[in-house]
Amino acid sequence: MRLHLVLVAALLATPLAADPITFTDHEGREVTLPSPAQRIASIPIPMASTLIAIDGATDRLVGMNPTAKSAIMEGVLGRIFPEARDIPSDITAPNFIPNVEELARVNPDLVIQWAGRGPDYVDPITNAGLNLMTIMYGTEERTREYMTMAATAMGRPERIEALIDWRAQVQADMEARTADLTNEDRPSVLYLLRAMENLRASGTENNYNAWYHILAGGRNAAEDMTGGWADINLEQIAAWNPDVIFLNSFEADLTIDRIMDDPILSLTNAAQSGRVYKMPLGGYRWDPPNQESPLTWMWTANLLHPDRFDYDLRAEMRSAYRVLYNYELTDADIDEILWMDMQGGQANYAQFAAQ
Amino acid sequence: MSAALDEAPRRAWLSLRLGVFPAMVGGLALAMLYAISAGRFDVPWTRIIEILWARAWDLSGNPEAMDERIVELVRLPRVLLAAMSGAALAVGGAALQGVFRNPLVSPQILGISQGGAFGGALAILLGYHGVVLLGMSFVFGLAALLLVGLLSHINGRTEILTVILAGMIVGAFFAALVSVLQFIADPNTSLPAIVYWLMGSFSTATWARLGLAVPGMMLGLVLVWALRYRLNLLSLDEAEARSLGVNPDRERWFIFIAATLMTGTSVAVAGVIGWIGLVVPHAARLVVGDDHRRLIPASALLGAAYLVVIDTFARTLTAAEIPLGVLTALIGAPVFAVLLRQHFRRAGAG
Repeated sequence: MRLHLVLVAALLATPLAADPITFTDHEGREVTLPSPAQRIASIPIPMASTLIAIDGATDRLVGMNPTAKSAIMEGVLGRIFPEARDIPSDITAPNFIPNVEELARVNPDLVIQWAGRGPDYVDPITNAGLNLMTIMYGTEERTREYMTMAATAMGRPERIEALIDWRAQVQADMEARTADLTNEDRPSVLYLLRAMENLRASGTENNYNAWYHILAGGRNAAEDMTGGWADINLEQIAAWNPDVIFLNSFEADLTIDRIMDDPILSLTNAAQSGRVYKMPLGGYRWDPPNQESPLTWMWTANLLHPDRFDYDLRAEMRSAYRVLYNYELTDADIDEILWMDMQGGQANYAQFAAQ
Repeated sequence: MSAALDEAPRRAWLSLRLGVFPAMVGGLALAMLYAISAGRFDVPWTRIIEILWARAWDLSGNPEAMDERIVELVRLPRVLLAAMSGAALAVGGAALQGVFRNPLVSPQILGISQGGAFGGALAILLGYHGVVLLGMSFVFGLAALLLVGLLSHINGRTEILTVILAGMIVGAFFAALVSVLQFIADPNTSLPAIVYWLMGSFSTATWARLGLAVPGMMLGLVLVWALRYRLNLLSLDEAEARSLGVNPDRERWFIFIAATLMTGTSVAVAGVIGWIGLVVPHAARLVVGDDHRRLIPASALLGAAYLVVIDTFARTLTAAEIPLGVLTALIGAPVFAVLLRQHFRRAGAG
């Protein structure tokens, strides 16, 4: 399942610089670039670290969302690529409305923006005469599509092939190993996108977290909720009584104590059996789709079905980071990403400890 | 007007009005019982009575089983907090309407809600919850009121009109500051939290939070209750009130401070819940009339029952919590429209 680069393919696939590049984006827009993009500005948050992964370097990222930058600088990516500190982040407000003057100043040959949010988000970019590519978020299929688009624009098809193959292989392996699971064999999983103050759970519709919980052999505790996300209350969680609770990695101060010490939540099956975990924070947060997603799936599967899955997560992480970021992870890095200090004592978590 | 009435029908009318209060108290008790029995987690009626009965005899000790904790740690504080907030918001509205001699006035008019909203949103942006959020929300609600006071105090006195104008200015200013916070908030973390909190919810109610909210709300309620006679005078013409020995400036400010205490605390514990202070006093006026000696307790009882019922809908209708502000506006606006029409039709007929 490990992520490796095939060097022969890499050499063969390098395109000629003179070829114009064309592809269709998620709003059906025909994007044409005279040559591979050398200066890319990314307005959506997770895309910045994905671009770094596709290129294995930060050189071509000339602008990003301030929230993306703080996520990079807080996590392991900031240590791998300290130069990311100097990449401008004023090309957009955190709310994705582009700042055209700043965009023009960094002079990108490609700007990446969210699809489907209306003209306020894209018109300023196209009106300024900049090349635009829009992406849509949510499903694994779309993730592969926009990663491929970005790689095409950067002229790195050989790298994206390896990254996509990895995703497909891990997915196929997991599907094969969970095919015979009946609904009763699947632990009910609650993912909390918010937990500090209000409680927000993943619904079913186009929800990426729910998708990979099912892939890893679980079922969504909140499956009767339509829509992507919903704010719920303590009583509802008590009624669902989930077997496993995953906490988001977005809320920095959130730890498993939030669940383990709560008078109601500590009585759920998940807390009683020690199956409450906070999502790791790697090159990007492991909860939403990103370049490291197969690692998220493997981590999840090992926790949901330790009897069926025994991925060597630390080895998988090392080879993935070698390819994605050209970086050799230390044991301390891995412990930090997986929050070993905080949740090393939780059920089935010792499998992730350094040998 | 009372002199024109015959003695017998007048007494009948009075007794009808007196009977209204036991009915309201009974209604509130029923609403709270219903609220405690309803929820997404299934606890049978008999079990709820058993739990409450056991607790009434033994206040020490902690609830162990899930159903006990749901009833004692989730539903009870939530229902009590909703009742307290409903009473506070309704009485705040009724008192302000008396002072301004205008039934369309609400705590928003003094900028208190917007100030409180800014304080709370700022706390969330800075990563604070709980007590800090509560404190900041209250402090900025008070700051809004002080600003209104400073702006409207001209040549040693305060005119009603300048208070309303200053309230609009201060409210708009704090509303803009809330927008600024939403603009700079992290769309991954603090922005959704701010938006959710602004829409209003009691989902985070605990005994601790109830304990934080009760002093401010009780103080406000007691202050308005103590000033109920003065409110009757304040709602007279300004010159008339002065001739009756009232210092309208000073007493108005007592009412404003009481309204801030109640609104600021309720914003702090449950976000911005609109329409209660507008709809409930109106309904109360239809039942008990304009006399603040009756209007204030009637508003408190009706407001408490109303918000308890609305909050029960918010947490039970679907698996997801429905934001309270949405429900109170959806129900409040049409009800208010009907009440207004009846009010003016009767005023026209009379």
